[in-house]
Amino acid sequence: MRLFCWLLGFLLPAALVAQNPFAGNAKEIDVGRGLFRIACTPCHGIRAQGGRGPDLTLGIYNNGNKDEDLFRVIQNGVPGTEMPGYTRFGDDNSWRLVAYIRSLTLRQEKPSQGSAAAGETLFWGKGACGQCHKVGGRGGPMGPDLTRVGRKRSLAYLRQSVVDPNADLTPGFFKITVVTKERRTISGVQRNFDNFSTQFMTVDGKLHSFQREELNSCEREFTSLMPPYRNLSEAELNDLLAYLVSLRGEVAQ
Amino acid sequence: MKHLSVYLWACLAWSQTPDTDWLHYGRNLSGWRYSELSQINSSNVNELTLEWVFQTNVPGKLETTPLVKDNVMYITAAENNAFALDLATGKQIWKYAKEVPRDLQACCGLVNRGFAMLGDTLFKVNVEATLVALDSKTGNVLWETVIDDYRKGYSATVAPLVVKDKVVVGIAGAEFGTRGFIDAYDARTGKRAWRFWTVAGPGEFGGESWPRDTQAFQRGGGSTWVTGTYDPELNLIYWGTGNPGPDMNGDVRPGDNLFTCSLVALDGDTGKRKWHFQYTPHDVHDWDATEDPVLLDVVHEGRKVKAVAMANRNGFYYALDRTNGRLLAAKAYTKVSWAKDIDKNGRPILIPGQDPTPDGNVACPGGGGGHNWQPTAYSPQTGLYYFTSSDGCHTYYMTNQEYVEGQWYQGSTFNGEGLYPKGSIVAVDPATGDTRWRWEMVSPPSGGLMATAGGFVFGGDPQGYFFALDAKTGKPVWHKQLGGTVIAGPMSYSRNGRQFVTVAAGQSVFTFALK
Repeated sequence: MRLFCWLLGFLLPAALVAQNPFAGNAKEIDVGRGLFRIACTPCHGIRAQGGRGPDLTLGIYNNGNKDEDLFRVIQNGVPGTEMPGYTRFGDDNSWRLVAYIRSLTLRQEKPSQGSAAAGETLFWGKGACGQCHKVGGRGGPMGPDLTRVGRKRSLAYLRQSVVDPNADLTPGFFKITVVTKERRTISGVQRNFDNFSTQFMTVDGKLHSFQREELNSCEREFTSLMPPYRNLSEAELNDLLAYLVSLRGEVAQ
Repeated sequence: MKHLSVYLWACLAWSQTPDTDWLHYGRNLSGWRYSELSQINSSNVNELTLEWVFQTNVPGKLETTPLVKDNVMYITAAENNAFALDLATGKQIWKYAKEVPRDLQACCGLVNRGFAMLGDTLFKVNVEATLVALDSKTGNVLWETVIDDYRKGYSATVAPLVVKDKVVVGIAGAEFGTRGFIDAYDARTGKRAWRFWTVAGPGEFGGESWPRDTQAFQRGGGSTWVTGTYDPELNLIYWGTGNPGPDMNGDVRPGDNLFTCSLVALDGDTGKRKWHFQYTPHDVHDWDATEDPVLLDVVHEGRKVKAVAMANRNGFYYALDRTNGRLLAAKAYTKVSWAKDIDKNGRPILIPGQDPTPDGNVACPGGGGGHNWQPTAYSPQTGLYYFTSSDGCHTYYMTNQEYVEGQWYQGSTFNGEGLYPKGSIVAVDPATGDTRWRWEMVSPPSGGLMATAGGFVFGGDPQGYFFALDAKTGKPVWHKQLGGTVIAGPMSYSRNGRQFVTVAAGQSVFTFALK
């Protein structure tokens, strides 16, 4: 009887945990891929490697790493973020999406060979990355906040972003250049760019706002103001990447 | 004496600007979206100021074209909401609301584009594919008819079109493997008078354009979610049809797939097809022909022709003879990569290698097309036809997908990552499609247009601006930030000698007038 109670104690909660009926089923994963392409690609990218939303190929997720967590996020969305709920997909399609997302994480990356501590020193020192990027409240406001970048982006993506910032631009962080009526040229990172005005931030952290009629010209380039960091040694680059990968949002604010 | 001069002045203003309503989705049955009011013009447009705002407090996109009659404005909103507003203050007179079924699926928001009106009765669709008639004085339901079963994937967003004593509606759901149609209902009883299937079945005219002995035609799409137009002289209804299903996988539906991506001309009494014109045979890029079919007269080879204009999503502007559907002119108005030109019979001359592939293939225009559904405008004053255009390309993906009733059935998707499409407002000569001016925008456009006799084209943008362009040159002459994306078409009316301009932005309706 004691054994029965023990077993019941273990098995009952396990039975209540939702199981993905389609886990590992190639045909259903393919259906999940079709659904993903329709509903998820605008934010998570056609290869699920992130963009407006996080990279979903890393095997770590912002709201829990279990299948049931992914299912819950798909169904209910994430309050306080841009992620909406997709109850209209129904349970089966949500599980198909979970199965597809899981299939993407099978190709795990090799961890970075560098030292995160050395990378942190480089980030705030020689690299001057903190001049434009914030981590946990410290740093400059011009570029994308990197507090959680280790959850959002893969190692390969981060490597490419450091050495070739134009390879894939973070949406909204484009280069704005205006020439004023006094023929002064000012460039900065976009905050807004519309048919009648622009707001942008210069490297000194100053916010500029102009109506187009006040300007001689007002242009947006789909390029990054970040310089390519090609002068880092391989060891330095690995250290920096180890630090970036370690940024999971668990930084004292 | 002082009082007399005030009255005289009021009488003068009234005589110059008589009370003018807005009674149809497209202003007139030809879909011009042209207001003959000219009180707001280049001499005073800078004095245009906000008169009132009505906040619907309904989440979702607000795509309504308001109707104005007597002292009331009638608007519809997302998620089965509708309102009657006091014209002078924007205050709510009544509200209609109906719960949306929790299991309803719709591709692009639970939106609604507006009312139609006959006498004192208003007609609107509900998103779960019903048509409802309301008493305009109270908002009380007079009757409600099921158009079709939403569980199969059907939904309804269109503003109805009143033709004589019937209410004509289209349907949405081509992304869910449905078979499209155009319906007419008795305005008094709500009983269906006729249905025209926009996907030809086996044995019917056009049925051979679908694969034999398959269910492909039953899932063939061809939805009809944008209001058509009507020519009373010819007694013909003109209505555009949407993409074939599944959108990006043409392999399961070899053939031209009639009458998808087409304009159909239907008898105003019976709904029987008089003619059809297919803009994009066997479409695989989701280039619905659900754009405004605007009825106007053009001079073609020296003679005046009754024409129907459409800026098609596939990147070409078309003018057809609306008596018989023959092509008068076709011209690209944006970058087009999939066809070299349109031949004299109206068939595109294809450029190979443009179809979607499993790993993605770039084609232009992008998935929303060049011009999408947003309301267009024709000004008889300038003789120009105005519409918005998304200018750029998308990567199109094809994925095999099994059909499951009521579920998404799109055969994959399109994506603009790294391609940065832009936008513009284009003015063309409707006889030839020649571009007369183009106002470039920083991103693909979102909103509809209206032309006025004051010499303007009014429009709005995704960044929340409401603006007026000079109708002759395209130069912006006035703008105001409204704080919410403009999707709907603007409209104009007058009361007591004053012209008003109204537009929906975000979740609110804004009305402007001179001080």
